[in-house]
Amino acid sequence: MISFENVTKGYKGGTVAIRDMSLDIDKGEFVFLVGSSGSGKTTFIRLLLREEIPTSGRILVAGRDIANLSQWRIPYLRRNIGCVFQDFRLLPNKNVFENVAFALEVIGRPKHVVAAQVPQVLDLVGLSKKRESLPGELSGGEQQRVAVARAFVNRPLILLADEPTGNLDPATSQGIMRLLERINKTGTTVVIATHDSGIVDQMRRRVIELDHGTLVRDQARGVYGYGT
Amino acid sequence: MPVSLDYVARETASNLWRNRLMTIAAVLTVAVSLSLVGTALLLRQGVAHATTQWQHGVSVELFLKPSVSTTQEASVRQQLHQLPYVQSCLYRSQTYDYNEAKRLLTPDESQALTVASTPSSLRCVLNNPTQAQAIAKQFHGYPGVKDVASPNQAIRNMESVTRILQLVFLILAVILLLSASVLILNTIRLAIFARRREVSVMKLVGATNWFIRVPFMFEGVVQGLLGAVVAAVVVVVLHLVLDALGNGQISNLWYQMRLPTHEVVITSLVVLLIGVLIGSIGSAFGIRRFLDA
Repeated sequence: MISFENVTKGYKGGTVAIRDMSLDIDKGEFVFLVGSSGSGKTTFIRLLLREEIPTSGRILVAGRDIANLSQWRIPYLRRNIGCVFQDFRLLPNKNVFENVAFALEVIGRPKHVVAAQVPQVLDLVGLSKKRESLPGELSGGEQQRVAVARAFVNRPLILLADEPTGNLDPATSQGIMRLLERINKTGTTVVIATHDSGIVDQMRRRVIELDHGTLVRDQARGVYGYGT
Repeated sequence: MPVSLDYVARETASNLWRNRLMTIAAVLTVAVSLSLVGTALLLRQGVAHATTQWQHGVSVELFLKPSVSTTQEASVRQQLHQLPYVQSCLYRSQTYDYNEAKRLLTPDESQALTVASTPSSLRCVLNNPTQAQAIAKQFHGYPGVKDVASPNQAIRNMESVTRILQLVFLILAVILLLSASVLILNTIRLAIFARRREVSVMKLVGATNWFIRVPFMFEGVVQGLLGAVVAAVVVVVLHLVLDALGNGQISNLWYQMRLPTHEVVITSLVVLLIGVLIGSIGSAFGIRRFLDA
């Protein structure tokens, strides 16, 4: 599903964010991307979304080299990748339903599709009763559920999450993780960049560790730190 | 590119309302600059219209009665020939004059005209155009001569004044049009800035660039168009004022400058087109910086 082949990403000024990285993530996998700040996790995600272009190497998503994607195809790549962030990025003047529906409307989905899919996904994230609430009226955990619903409503092949629990307490974080696991069970590939050692250790999933842009560990049922 | 009209209309309206002060500024600037453009165009056409008959250096016209006899005509020609300040004269037949009249007059006015009732004419080039008055005096009431016409000195003055006026108007208009596009560019930028969260989410979930762009472009076009509509109204009103000033008298300078309706319509359309153009160019540049990524 995702394949990095000798990918290097350098920025102007000589900083190298990703150094000669090769890895494969299969369809339906659940992967943690760990490493300290500045290790290259965010660049990894930006490369996948084609917000950045690799300096060298190839990145394949669903068999397609995304570095050579023409400008007008980028939106279609992004429709296959749902994305969740630490800061939720909800629209404050739209309610829960509208926030999720917006993701479908702006890619031109007809009204009846919106009317059918949004309640379904709100049910999945457990927010059916709060569909009329504004983001400001929700707790952090609830806001992140809305963000997950928005990322997943179009049934993407891949769900990326950049520090999804960074603003949440441990109990709430666990709830979000259970939700991402459920989404993963539907066949969606899930990639989570995180610092949250508690969650990584608890879930024992594949762990990919970056350090200064280099892949230093790729472990099938890993934990956050070395050992065990 | 499935961008629904309903969506574009809604977004455009809400953007325009959000930025209403900037919108008003942009619309007014477009209106003022295009009014100048329209006025300059009208003025040029009006003067061209009034002076068509005085081209090729002709400075005096003797109209002969349709009933003129050959001897009378010969006598007039001989007299003219003897005058020292007459350089040359050209004879125009009744048919020629009839066709010219049809071209210069509105259909209403030329309707009653027939070839037989149209006077033939002698058009003379003078060494010194100021002598035109003397010729008019000499041939007024002369047998076979219906009328003597000399160009109003005012027309000549008008020509040079309007040439300068036009230039000034056009320069002002170009400067104002430039500032209008910059103003529109700025409103569009503000509109995008106000919606940057929406725009970033749209990009994230895979909305096409066109989908994001169209409402903003439309906003610029609407601003340009609104300004142009105001300017088109100014053009039409100006035309009506010229008409009223002329008071229906052929000899009146304003009346000679008035334009047939179709030329006014074309001028208004040109003004509208420029408005739309300014709007699209301004918004296209405004959007570019934000959506290139």
